[in-house]
This record gives sequence, structure tokens and C-alpha cells, in this order.
Amino acid sequence: MKPRIVAVLNQKGGVGKTTTCVNLAHALAKLGKPVTVIDLDPQHHLAVALGEVAVDRSGIDAVMLGERSLQEQMLSVRPCLSLVVAGPRLQAIEQLSEGGSHRGDLLRRGLAACPWLDQAVVLIDCPPSSGILVANALFAVDELLVPMTSDFMALQGLSHLMGTLKKFEQVLAKNYRTTLVMSRYISNRRLSEDVLTTIKKYFPNQVLRTLIRETALLAECPSFGKTIFEYRPGCRSAQDFASLAVDFIEGRVM
Amino acid sequence: MAENDDASLIGYDPLAWLQHAEAARPAASWPLPGTEAEASSQDANQEWVEQTDTSEQADDDGWVNDDATAHAWAADDPAPAPTSQQSLSISLATVQNMQAVAQLYQRLLSALNETDHIDIDASAVNQIDTSTLQLLLVFKRTAIKQNKRVSIDFPSERFIEAASLLGLSQLLAVDHAAAGFF
Ligand SMILES: Nc1ncnc2c1ncn2[C@@H]1O[C@H](COP(=O)(O)OP(=O)(O)O)[C@@H](O)[C@H]1O
Ligand SMILES: [Mg+2]
Repeated sequence: MKPRIVAVLNQKGGVGKTTTCVNLAHALAKLGKPVTVIDLDPQHHLAVALGEVAVDRSGIDAVMLGERSLQEQMLSVRPCLSLVVAGPRLQAIEQLSEGGSHRGDLLRRGLAACPWLDQAVVLIDCPPSSGILVANALFAVDELLVPMTSDFMALQGLSHLMGTLKKFEQVLAKNYRTTLVMSRYISNRRLSEDVLTTIKKYFPNQVLRTLIRETALLAECPSFGKTIFEYRPGCRSAQDFASLAVDFIEGRVM
Repeated sequence: MAENDDASLIGYDPLAWLQHAEAARPAASWPLPGTEAEASSQDANQEWVEQTDTSEQADDDGWVNDDATAHAWAADDPAPAPTSQQSLSISLATVQNMQAVAQLYQRLLSALNETDHIDIDASAVNQIDTSTLQLLLVFKRTAIKQNKRVSIDFPSERFIEAASLLGLSQLLAVDHAAAGFF
């Protein structure tokens, strides 16, 4: 069966895309769901956060350039969790100096050729931009997960993102299944509540139920190449992500 | 300062436009090759934007295969009747979708039978779907085979955007810098 292929996307940087990918993926893997994460960001933070630091290893770049199959590029990094790194030429694809001009379907073709075996979920960690790489992700998936912070500028960014998505939906004649996750929620703050209320107003039944709270531990663990479940198992951020994984699987929203 | 209750800390609501955005979207368009029945085979979605070999039969071209109009076209006699040297201009409508594609096909076909040089004015387009882009691509190839000239003039932002999203801008010769992709 084809896995759920989800682009974790928000053109704004620092909203928690990579953190969400890493920890949601590990949480799903711990529930026994075979997960593949794909690092589509040339800055390869996803790989670093999972402790994979070999920068010149080829990854999704070679898949997009048609040189390797996706299976060949999957690294088993944890039980039930595979990683496809970005690879050194992903930046060149973003700048259109490789892969031909305006090629929006490089990733889609790479994914389509993959037999997937028993994979349940594929998460694609998108770069904080809206260039050819994100276009490739939007081409390749039917489902989006949008991490959101709880501040005013995030709403502004979300507005821009929705404009972009509408264009894609129109041009590609598709209708994304979009969910949002509050990925850096600052509790005990009026503004956070107001932002959340606003988001829920426009995205009813689309915000995953668990709020991922802003914590020091979550900010610390990438530098150790560990997920929150390894860095501080049982802490409240680990609980948040464990609960988010269930939301993600069961479609629990607020 | 619209539509927010005064108790909210958010004065200006950047998402307000979402409520007014028209829900209209092209109902059904041709599925992009491979997006629907992906699992079946990988050759079905091979190189679907890469076909530049104009000497080849349209039927051999996996990309246009599912296009009934392309077949109709390819079936036309490739040695056309003598036609005018004068150029003929066709304007694309604001909305070019599946519903309009049959009519556009007829207009393009008769233009092709009339003249050697067809200008397509794409300045008004603000919505265009994959079926229309496919039609234009096949049209351009057909015209080239018949030694005729087709140029797409004044493409609108939306046209360029759609073409570049689908990787067709070079083939349709409406390429522009990668900047402004969105
Ligand atoms: N819930 C959180 N609590 C604390 N720090 C967070 C949280 N989510 C993300 N961060 C930190 O914020 C920074 C940006 O997050 P990241 O996931 O890299 O965002 P993005 O991938 O969207 O650019 C990183 O340093 C990360 O560790
Ligand atoms: Mg990131």
C-alpha cells in the first residue's frame, strides 16, 4: 500500500518544521509505524538532528537528478525510521543549475518509482523558501502539515502560504489535505491564545489537537543528534510528540 | 482592523481574505500524468515534459497519449493545403480550463489550416489548467512539424507560472527568470 506522503511545509524559517519532522517521525516509529523522512532542505538540519552528519553523502538530490532510486538512498537511522539525506547537489537544484529548467516534477517521479514496501508514512522536511524545491514537494504530495508558531507574524506568513497553495491547487487541479500543528506554542500568553483562536476560525478541524509547547529541551536536542525521546524520554515535550503522533494517525483535531 | 472582536490582541487579521476568496476551482482537469494511478507503472510517467523530438509520431509520445485531441491532430494530414503567409492572432480567454479546451482546439485547428504563422495572445490568462497547456504544447509541436510558426505572445504572470510549474516553459518558449517563481 502507498504510504501517507506528507510535506512538512511553511516558507517561514524557524517555525519548527525540522523539529516536527524529527520528533513526529520518531514518535510514529515508536508506535511501530515504518516512517521515512526526506530532507529537502539543502541546509540538511534534519539529518544533523538525527545525528547523521556526513555532508557529502548523496541523498534526495541524486534521486531527483534521476541517478539513484529512493530505496538506494534510504538510511536506517532508528528502528522503523529511515532517512534520506539532502545531498550536496540539492542547492544546485534549487538554483535551477541542475535538473533542467523549471522542473517541478523531479521529486514526484522519484517517489512514484519507489515500491515503498511496508512504509506507512513519509515526511518531507521542506526548506524555508518558496522555490523549485518546495514546488517539487507540492507537486509530489497530496497532504501537507504546516507547523505554526503562536505569534502575529506567523499569521502573516500563513496568509502568504495559503495564497501560494491556492495557486498550486488551481494550476495542478488538486485539493491538498492540509493540517496545521502549533509547533512552538508559548503557553500562558494571551497572544498565543488569540493566534490559535484566529487559526481555528479559518482552519476548523484542521489543527492537530496537541499543542507542542516551547521548551528548552526541544531546542537543545538537535545539537546532540538526538530526538526528544532519546534526549529526555518522558519529558513533557516527549509526551507532546507522542500525543501528536496519535493525532496524526487518528486525525484528532481541534 | 476588520472582523475582530475588540478583546483580541490581534488588531489586523492577515487571513481575512481567505473568507472572501472565491471557492471556484477548476472542477476536474486531466490528472497530471502519474498523479492518479501512480502505482501502476513507472514508464507511464517517464519524461512527460521532456519530449522535444519533433520528428516523432505523437502516438509514441507517452505524454500526449491520453489526450484525445492530440490523436485527432496527429491523424491530420501532415502535408497541409497551401495557406496564407499572413499571421493570424488568437487570444486566450481569461479562464482557460477543461470546459474551454474543446473550443480552443477548434480555433487553433482552423487557424492552422489557414495560415503559416499563428500568434497566441496569452496576456489575459489568469487561470489555465493542465489540459490547455497540453493542448498548446501539442499544437506547437504539430505546427513545427508542418513548418509553421506559433508564438505565444505577452504571456501573463499566471500563464508563465503555470507553464513553469509544469516544466513546460521552455517548450512553450515562455521562459522567464526563476525569480518571481511565485
Ligand atoms: N517547541 C519548541 N521549543 C523550543 N525550541 C524549538 C521548538 N521547536 C523548534 N525549536 C527550535 O527553534 C529553532 C527552529 O526550529 P526548526 O525546527 O529548525 O524550524 P524550521 O525547520 O521551520 O526552520 C531550532 O533551534 C529548534 O531547536
Ligand atoms: Mg528546517
